[in-house]
Amino acid sequence: MSSMVSNPRLEVPTTAAPDMARENLIHFDAVTAKFGQLHAMGPTTLSVRRGEFVAIVGPSGCGKSTLLNMVAGTLRPSSGSVHYDGQQVAGPNSDVGYITQKNYCVPWRTVEGNVRMPMEFRGVARAEMDERVKYALAQVGLTGFERAYPKQLSGGMLQRVMIARTLAYGPSVYLMDEPFGSLDAQLRTRMHAKLLEIWQKTQATFVFVTHDLQEAITLADRVVVMSRRPGCPKLVVDINLPRPRDVVDIQADPAFGAYVKQLWHALDVD
Amino acid sequence: MSGIIEIRKIPRSRWRRKLSSERAFDSFLQLAMLTGTLLLWEWLSTALHAEFWVSRPSSVAQAMLVWARSGNLASDLKLTLTEAGIGFLIGSLAGAIVGFLLGWVDRLGRLFEPLVLSLYTLPKVALAPLFVLWFGIGPLNKIMFSALLVFFMVFFTTFQGTRQVDRDLVANARLLGASPMSIWFKIAIPFAAVWVFTGIRIGLPYALIGAIVGEFVAADSGVGFRIKEATSFFDTSAVFAGLIVLMAISMVLLGLLKLIELRLMRWQNPGDIITTEIGA
Repeated sequence: MSSMVSNPRLEVPTTAAPDMARENLIHFDAVTAKFGQLHAMGPTTLSVRRGEFVAIVGPSGCGKSTLLNMVAGTLRPSSGSVHYDGQQVAGPNSDVGYITQKNYCVPWRTVEGNVRMPMEFRGVARAEMDERVKYALAQVGLTGFERAYPKQLSGGMLQRVMIARTLAYGPSVYLMDEPFGSLDAQLRTRMHAKLLEIWQKTQATFVFVTHDLQEAITLADRVVVMSRRPGCPKLVVDINLPRPRDVVDIQADPAFGAYVKQLWHALDVD
Repeated sequence: MSGIIEIRKIPRSRWRRKLSSERAFDSFLQLAMLTGTLLLWEWLSTALHAEFWVSRPSSVAQAMLVWARSGNLASDLKLTLTEAGIGFLIGSLAGAIVGFLLGWVDRLGRLFEPLVLSLYTLPKVALAPLFVLWFGIGPLNKIMFSALLVFFMVFFTTFQGTRQVDRDLVANARLLGASPMSIWFKIAIPFAAVWVFTGIRIGLPYALIGAIVGEFVAADSGVGFRIKEATSFFDTSAVFAGLIVLMAISMVLLGLLKLIELRLMRWQNPGDIITTEIGA
């Protein structure tokens, strides 16, 4: 699904070369983040290709979420620049879907109403909206819960509502910040399978922040290991495991174990 | 993957039945207490020869009947309710709008905070004589005074509530593509609505207070005027009749409001929690 609206809040293309922009959807160019005295991140240079599934792992406070916020345009880099689709990010980027541990359901709307909301913001036609809501809820296994209110749902279900909501409006990029951190192991595995399915169907780009190495390897094409604060990429590993992946079987793959070991050591040394 | 997650509703009918039988018993108890109080009142006021001070239920009922027969009850009720009703509408509308604006726009809130706080502590009843000066002794005076009291109640709760609008939720909506208009109408106002309703519920009795105080100060009819008139004739029974009428009005209005609130705010109490059970 491609983006439905052109994004007026992005500035005119500046420095990024056109051919590079075509391949790289997101490009961080020597970005740093400082919060007052705290030097949280950088300098970080990193590119995410169109349609790629990138996982970012690292210790707490190394600026993983900061990177996502910069793509979403809710945080400006202290120095350096972030390019999205060849254009410098200068304000809220509504071409992204942002999913965190916190659920942003509004309590006065039903599940259906919540999934509908971003499409209302974007002026999607009613008939198409209904269709997309139905499809998205079916994708996350929430058919039958259309009329339930958020207060009635468990944490795992709310998280699925958030995913359905994002899926329904179809952003080009899914920014996910430890989205399954509060779910139990079984549900989390199920969500992994669902997520890979969605990734394959939508061909969207996924940037997935986690501190769970297994989760990162299971899902991603590429895992970026961040160093301790001030965080910057210290190791980037291509995960050459076959696709489509079975989220359970893949863990038995010897190569999987080798990746875990490699990443673990990279995390461990500092 | 789909179909693995089963839905199960907690069976609650049994304790719900128990709850409802308990409720029925409570209602019976309340009725019994009311009857007991009335009987005690009747008996004590006769036994202690205190009828002049506290009247007794049978005399109050009689006074009520006289009031109704004279045709004054209907016209007094109509007048007082009209004054309180219009005042209530003006006050809650103005309170909700001003409260929302000052709560939502941080700068406005900061700017007006000292004024707001100083008005908060002012006993509003002290303004009643001034209102006679401004708006005369007709219904307009009572309407404005009602509106003033209700305004403050609705204003303060809305102001506090709107300030608590989850800013993360707003930032998220912006990311989802919401225009400033959408954020107002789809996030901020629904969020504040709960508080507006709380304010309205607290403010409703004040509409009546405003009308009654207004009638105490200067009037020639209305329930408040009738109570004052009866007091000056030392007619305690008629005073109590007036009080009971006021009480009845309040109860009816609150019930009405509760009904509207339940309708509009269904999401706050949507029913059973749905649990998911993960099957094998």
